[in-house]
Amino acid sequence: MNTHLFFNEMKLQWYEMRQYWFETLSGLFFIIAIFLGLFYGIKGFVLEQGDGQSLDGLLLGFLLWTFASGAYGSVTKSVIEDTQKGYIEQLFLCPNGFISLMLYRSLSESIVGLALLTVIAYVVMGITGNWLNINFAYFYGILLLSAPSLVGFGLMISGLALLFKRVETVGALLNLALMGLVALDGLPLNVFTFLPFVPGASMARDIVLDQSLFRLDHLLIVMANSFVYLAGGIFTFKALEKQAKKRNLIGQY
Amino acid sequence: MLAVKELCKSYAGVSALSNVSFSLNRGEVVALLGANGSGKTTTVQSICRLIEWDQGDITIDNTDIRSSPSFLKKIGAVLGGCRNTNWRLTAKQNADYFARLRGFSGTNIRQNIDQLHSALGLDEHAKKEVMKLSTGNKQKAALLSALSYSPDFVLLDEPTLGLDFNTVNDLQLIIKDQLQTAEQGFLVTSHDLDFIDKICDKVVVLDHGQLLFEGSLDTLKARLFKYELNIELNQPIDMSILHSLWGGRFDLQADMLTIKVNYELPDQSLKMLHYLHENNIQPLRLEIDSLSMEKAYQTLVQQKDLK
Repeated sequence: MNTHLFFNEMKLQWYEMRQYWFETLSGLFFIIAIFLGLFYGIKGFVLEQGDGQSLDGLLLGFLLWTFASGAYGSVTKSVIEDTQKGYIEQLFLCPNGFISLMLYRSLSESIVGLALLTVIAYVVMGITGNWLNINFAYFYGILLLSAPSLVGFGLMISGLALLFKRVETVGALLNLALMGLVALDGLPLNVFTFLPFVPGASMARDIVLDQSLFRLDHLLIVMANSFVYLAGGIFTFKALEKQAKKRNLIGQY
Repeated sequence: MLAVKELCKSYAGVSALSNVSFSLNRGEVVALLGANGSGKTTTVQSICRLIEWDQGDITIDNTDIRSSPSFLKKIGAVLGGCRNTNWRLTAKQNADYFARLRGFSGTNIRQNIDQLHSALGLDEHAKKEVMKLSTGNKQKAALLSALSYSPDFVLLDEPTLGLDFNTVNDLQLIIKDQLQTAEQGFLVTSHDLDFIDKICDKVVVLDHGQLLFEGSLDTLKARLFKYELNIELNQPIDMSILHSLWGGRFDLQADMLTIKVNYELPDQSLKMLHYLHENNIQPLRLEIDSLSMEKAYQTLVQQKDLK
């Protein structure tokens, strides 16, 4: 663990959130407003069906999607925005390597993201009156274990961004695809298990919504899913980074 | 010592660098000169390992930079086009961030940042994010980040681009001060020969990726022509006699009705003028210009006459 890099990224998060507090707050309000729109949009329909469990599912799914977007976006946002804003070359001058830097950035953004997620969770539960009995430590533990799969996926897209630059459309589509990923059921083992984050989202849903007991085999599947996607992401990014350096494409926009 | 040895790089079969070699010592300022597309930026980016080169080596203190990325702790870089800082942070926050990124923090680093921040004249803009600074101050913020952890070698790619006269002067003073206090080696690419003239010990000239010259600035200056004679005629002249009218070191380009000569001393042109007068040749235009260092350098590069 390189505490130097980790705290540097945490400090960067703090600087940006403090100096752009309006952006931070308006971002929170925007996410909450989207959820409330969705919630009240389907509430009447769901209650007619007498299916209160669906509202809990919607709330949890929303929290999972918010987290997943943040974890996936932590790397892609850095590569795409920092290429446009223009200091990505300086990030490549990190002696620990660009990938290490991105992993620490993802970790710091995920931790900050979880703190914000807690705020969002309580605000939306308070407003909607739909209280979930969430063991946050358990919930976040599963999310942090499954986040590397999304980071790995983000590294793959970021590698493409280094070469092809304009990948925002693909990125936006994948962001929407995350909604599908958090809704799929990847446990026990089935074809969806092999998609990124699906086992983690399923395990979180099983434990939080269905109050299922902890299962070690499910945890191992979540960890394996994370490991495979992260390793694949690092391998892909390194290969594409090499190509970008051969063609002098780092930072050119 | 930072050494570039026989560096070669090509893109799609087109050579961008061909066997380029030079060195940079601590406490020395080396200028990398050349026109656009000459390979200056490719060289700087290769030293930063932002580019994979094809052949050759780059070493720092005899260690190949490809053997370990830790060499980046010894390098500070201000790359071209204001692409060096996070525009959402202040100059000092940027310096702190990039110093930590290279693995440096603590009281000494903070003090160094504070001193440089003042020396660069950024104190009055301390609370402004970089995006709110002028071009000159953005460049100073980038320099602050590059110097914050006192790297052994500082690479400055076109540091004077877009800067006003006063800011260029400030930059010169800062580099001179850093040379005295921190024993750093500076590699500076620039088109601004006046700037180079005031701070550099050694010059490396590139043209289309090839090394044209490596040596002291005085040696380069000694090779620059000082005058240019332009003549436009209304009747053709005997071309065979033209070269015999000139002595010493000169470069002559002529066709039937125009003559252009670059030369070193005023009296070199007298024989030519005497010939025109004696043969009653009336020029439509006759101009003798004293060449600025920049113009003289450009003329010489065009003639590839530096070796």
